[in-house]
Amino acid sequence: MMEWIRFWITAVLLVCGLVSFAAGVIGNCRFNYVMNRMHAGGVCDTQGLLFIVLSVAVSAGSVMDAAKLFLLVVFMWNTSPVSSHFLSQIEYYTNPKLFDHMERL
Amino acid sequence: MTVGEAYTCLYTGALVILAVLIGVMLIRSIRGPGVTDRILSINMIGTMVISCIAVLYAYLGESYLLDVALIYTMISFVTVLVLASVYIPANPRRKRFANEDDTASKVVPGRLKRKRRERRKRL
Repeated sequence: MMEWIRFWITAVLLVCGLVSFAAGVIGNCRFNYVMNRMHAGGVCDTQGLLFIVLSVAVSAGSVMDAAKLFLLVVFMWNTSPVSSHFLSQIEYYTNPKLFDHMERL
Repeated sequence: MTVGEAYTCLYTGALVILAVLIGVMLIRSIRGPGVTDRILSINMIGTMVISCIAVLYAYLGESYLLDVALIYTMISFVTVLVLASVYIPANPRRKRFANEDDTASKVVPGRLKRKRRERRKRL
């Protein structure tokens, strides 16, 4: 009985993670500009990975492995905003028509 | 149906769905019109591969796969940094392009200080 409860928690969290990944991919295909696509990519990097890692950590073998999975989430949450920042800098320096896509204040 | 079979079905389905999503992102990274779209797609593929490795850890029960996932995270971060250092110029104050009429990104020296001084006077 206990095993089945653990299985259902794992399944629900895994499906949540997959739905987040699917939302990120669909957003990346539907949006028409890279700054909007970066938003969908951020959903993938934070929410999707968090749910998948939680579901794997629920069914993990030992506490040490769960700690490693937690470290994975910590590292990803720290590096994802930095890479988004650098991506927007690349866009700023490579797109000549940057200000056609946004409002000037 | 035992618990082990249920886990096998669940993880196999998750891996298949993740593989399909990675394929879609690969098409996106080939089609993407600019440089940034491609780098963003590659970054997202890296995230999905990391979660694939995490699911494989639970499927196979081998704990060394988690070390592989950690190293993969660091490498996919370093990829973006290196590609950024290729495209971001060393002198960021220069004009971005030769024939650019760009008033929004113009830096007016001392503008912020002047504003602050005016606000202080008003107070």
